[in-house]
Amino acid sequence: MTTEVARGEARFSGLARALREPWPDRRTERVLAGVSSLVLVTIAGMVLFVFVKAWPSFSHNGLSWFGSGGNVDQQLGDIFNSPANPDHYVYKLRAWPLLYGTFITTAGAVILGTVISVLSAIFLVEFAPRRVRAVMGPVVRLLAAVPSVIYGLIGILVIVPFVGNHLISSGRKESVINVVQLTGASLIVAVLILTVMITPIMVAIVSDALRSVPRGWTEGAAALGANRWRIMWTVSVRAVRPAIVAAAVLATARALGEAIMLSMVSGSVGFAPNPVDGITFFFEPTRPLAATIVDNADGLSVEPFGQTLYAFAALLLLSAMALSLAGWAAKQPLKRYGIGV
Amino acid sequence: MRIRFIALCTGLLILAAPAAAQAKSTITLSGSTSVTPLASKLAKAYVKTKRGKVGFKILQGGSDIGVSDVARGRVTLGMSSRDPLPTDPGGLRFSRIARDGVCIATNAGNGIADMSQDTVQAIFSGRIRNWSDVPGAGKSGAIDLVVRNPASGTQDAFQNIFMGQNLRVSSSASQRPSNGRVQQAIASNPNAIGYVDFAFTKGLHTVSYKGIACSLRNAKSGQYGGVRSFWLVSRGAPTGAAAAWIKWIKSAKARRIIAQNWVPIK
Repeated sequence: MTTEVARGEARFSGLARALREPWPDRRTERVLAGVSSLVLVTIAGMVLFVFVKAWPSFSHNGLSWFGSGGNVDQQLGDIFNSPANPDHYVYKLRAWPLLYGTFITTAGAVILGTVISVLSAIFLVEFAPRRVRAVMGPVVRLLAAVPSVIYGLIGILVIVPFVGNHLISSGRKESVINVVQLTGASLIVAVLILTVMITPIMVAIVSDALRSVPRGWTEGAAALGANRWRIMWTVSVRAVRPAIVAAAVLATARALGEAIMLSMVSGSVGFAPNPVDGITFFFEPTRPLAATIVDNADGLSVEPFGQTLYAFAALLLLSAMALSLAGWAAKQPLKRYGIGV
Repeated sequence: MRIRFIALCTGLLILAAPAAAQAKSTITLSGSTSVTPLASKLAKAYVKTKRGKVGFKILQGGSDIGVSDVARGRVTLGMSSRDPLPTDPGGLRFSRIARDGVCIATNAGNGIADMSQDTVQAIFSGRIRNWSDVPGAGKSGAIDLVVRNPASGTQDAFQNIFMGQNLRVSSSASQRPSNGRVQQAIASNPNAIGYVDFAFTKGLHTVSYKGIACSLRNAKSGQYGGVRSFWLVSRGAPTGAAAAWIKWIKSAKARRIIAQNWVPIK
């Protein structure tokens, strides 16, 4: 017994020494290659798993999966209540309202966020007094780290009831009463909170890039008589366009994947808000894909329903991949005179 | 070096693999998502009393899945939250294990005294969309429906008890993934109406149904009408471990567990 323990200890200390001693380059290379290929294998495995799980939903609906028709919530209900016989599983789904909801919340927040973040980054880098800069920088970084569920709680406890009880008149509610109910949980609240969520990280990226614009470029413009605003707009912001694209891509990824907050404030109805409705459009509810997945996760063990949720997940994965490709492609022509990420 | 690294990895994999299961009798269950929470509570408590001798495997689906799985012998017991139907396969035995119910609730500022089944159906199916059309409503204006998502057992209960098989909840209703979120949505919106479990009525006005106030106590006494039964379904009379478990469910200890959120059978 004792000899065994001693042998174990010896082996352990041998391993510890092997780890502490400087490693030869060959071994380092192999170990690190192993670790990083583990990441690749994990991603490939995940994509494969999700797509295999999702396939029945896509194959039963074909391209009309992406179309509109019927009510998506009733279709989800029918899928959940499929008969027991696997041959009679219900798969019919027209996911357009969910896709559209994902698209408008994300696009709205990213467009708003890009404008706000570029302007505030300009302010932070060029115009803000030193003391303001010293406070704002860390605060922006802190904001970027706030968990989304906190935004969701503030939204559901404060903003949604306020919008529902004070901003939406009963006349407006009754004007669309036969189509959709306006409760305050709405597109506008979802987009605004999403914007607050994604802007800090964009400000951080864009202001880092603005700071790294070579002094010679801006001083050259100043020597030619341009004022600070003009220098910023014509030299610095043009130079950091790749960084702005990178920030927008990162923000879009976060907005696409946001589930909890959107499930709390977006209204949770599979409804496609209609821009023709004028102001009412902004108060109409919707439900993006990621929020649909978390809301319905307790139904995962019902086979056709789970496969449908995996189809949503597959689409989100696919859009994330398309997004990073598109971001890379958009950056190429800008890189020539640009700096940054 | 390389070999040692690979050996280390394999060792970790072997450690991570689950230990082989011991031989013991396993009761498999499938079916209703509404019965699952109760069944898994009862299963956990039972496993504690018969440590190592019995195990459970629970799959959710719908009540129909439970009934047809057990009819085909794929599971030991099916879980059903609907009553036996004449169309069910022959030779099945339904054992009632508990009752379950839901409350209709409105905002505290909208104190409707009572609702008939017809009123409930008219409101939730979208036939009536304005509070001024509801007899006894304390307000006017649009009705905001707050319901549960399709995977919810409470949704299933509401559908079965109040709506019946043929009437659907209006598609404009806003869905929430939990009882607590329905409660919060109704509490913060004066126009809202929804349904919640007995335990989630704090801060809301609960509407009495057919003249009986909605509470777990009234459901236990058998007066409140908004209840349904939970069943365990077996092929023929239950045997072996399953029979012992069903018998244990009638014991005082099991009844205490059931009484926390459900109505025990007398």
